[in-house]
Amino acid sequence: MLALDFPEINSLLRWKDLFPSFNKIALIAVLAVVISSTIFLLALRQNHEEAPRGIRNLAETIVEFIENGVVMQTMGKEGLAWTPFLLTMFMFIYLCNVPGIIPFFQMPATARMAVPMFLALMVWVIYNATGIKHQGIGGYLKSTLFPPGVPKALYILVTPIEFISAIIVRPFSLAVRLFANMMAGHILLVTFALLSEALFQAKDKILIPVGILPFFMLIFLTSFEVLVAFLQAYIFAMLTAVYIGGAAHPEH
Amino acid sequence: MTTAIVTQLNGRVVQVRLTSESSDTTVPAAEDGVATEAKAMESGAAETTVAETKSAPNPIAPESKELYWAAGSFIVLFVLMRYFLFPKLKKGMDARYEGIRNDIDGAVTVKASAQSDVAEYEKALAAARAEAAAKVDAARQAVDAERNKQLAEVNGRIAAARSAADQQNAAARAAAQGEVAAAVAQVASKGAELAIGRTPDAQTVQAAVQAAMESAVSR
Repeated sequence: MLALDFPEINSLLRWKDLFPSFNKIALIAVLAVVISSTIFLLALRQNHEEAPRGIRNLAETIVEFIENGVVMQTMGKEGLAWTPFLLTMFMFIYLCNVPGIIPFFQMPATARMAVPMFLALMVWVIYNATGIKHQGIGGYLKSTLFPPGVPKALYILVTPIEFISAIIVRPFSLAVRLFANMMAGHILLVTFALLSEALFQAKDKILIPVGILPFFMLIFLTSFEVLVAFLQAYIFAMLTAVYIGGAAHPEH
Repeated sequence: MTTAIVTQLNGRVVQVRLTSESSDTTVPAAEDGVATEAKAMESGAAETTVAETKSAPNPIAPESKELYWAAGSFIVLFVLMRYFLFPKLKKGMDARYEGIRNDIDGAVTVKASAQSDVAEYEKALAAARAEAAAKVDAARQAVDAERNKQLAEVNGRIAAARSAADQQNAAARAAAQGEVAAAVAQVASKGAELAIGRTPDAQTVQAAVQAAMESAVSR
């Protein structure tokens, strides 16, 4: 019989320190900063008057994607001031996601709760602060907890739901969506990699060709994770923009 | 004094570590080790204390060091992006877009100017064509007038010459007729003289000849 020795879950998710208090997750987070900065620094070295090409084209494409695909779609022209923040958010999350499929890293930093939790809490603070700044604390609470157009009698039901939804569930769902997707992808990749390895090395020779199946699944999931890495970064940035835009201009 | 540190995973005891001031011994867990506290006896030890129970870490619980590194990294990237990288890149993009917009505006202006020039050219061309046509018409009229004038003159000259020639012809014919009539009258007079033996009246002969000749000409 085939015996698959699946490693203990903590050994897949918790990483030993490379230096004191500096593990692979910290390394990925730092590399995300270094890579993002390097892309933009190299882009800035090119002549901006010429048609963009190479790395400048990449940087400008990302900027325009955030401006046109996220900010203008959710916040309109007034939200363009948030572009640097959303751009940072998108690039940081994407570069924390992508190492999940890069050999030797093979771990998305966002598959550890610390990273999504920090980002979600930061977004929570920012959109609440933005709402209070634009509407005042009373106005913000009123627009959030007492949505207009609802019969007054229904506020008994709607207000607690809105409170739970806007104040409690939003950061939780933001963090869990990103974390769960990336951790699930990571565990799936590990599972199919281990299964492939076990089948290819099985003592029973008849099982060896069967190893092709999980191996193809591994390749497919690796490709799928490329999409997931982008999609999760985009969704997080998009929802952040929606929350901030909604807090700043509830009438929209 | 000896301390037993029990490590649990999913409620199962996976490791028991005994520590004392002088030694540190690790004991594997028993097969049925489900106790929440463990008693370990160190050989020769008179006293055993349950001091600490440790569980395996929750795999989804955030680690503070990862939180700090993630927060620090994000904040550093945001500060760089907000105050240096994004504004410079955006400034360059805006300058290029502005240049492109200006080029497009310039091209539109040049196009409008070119269209205006083309319209003016076509207007001038039409005027020149009209002027040329007028000049050609005038020239044609002048040429026609001159031709008609010259034709009239030539026709006049021809008519005069023809008239003169007719007059000459008439004169010559009259002279010839006179001579013929005189000759015929002489011959007739001679003939008559021979026939009747006397000379007929010259005027009568001449009138008869004249009448005969006119009668012949009229036939």
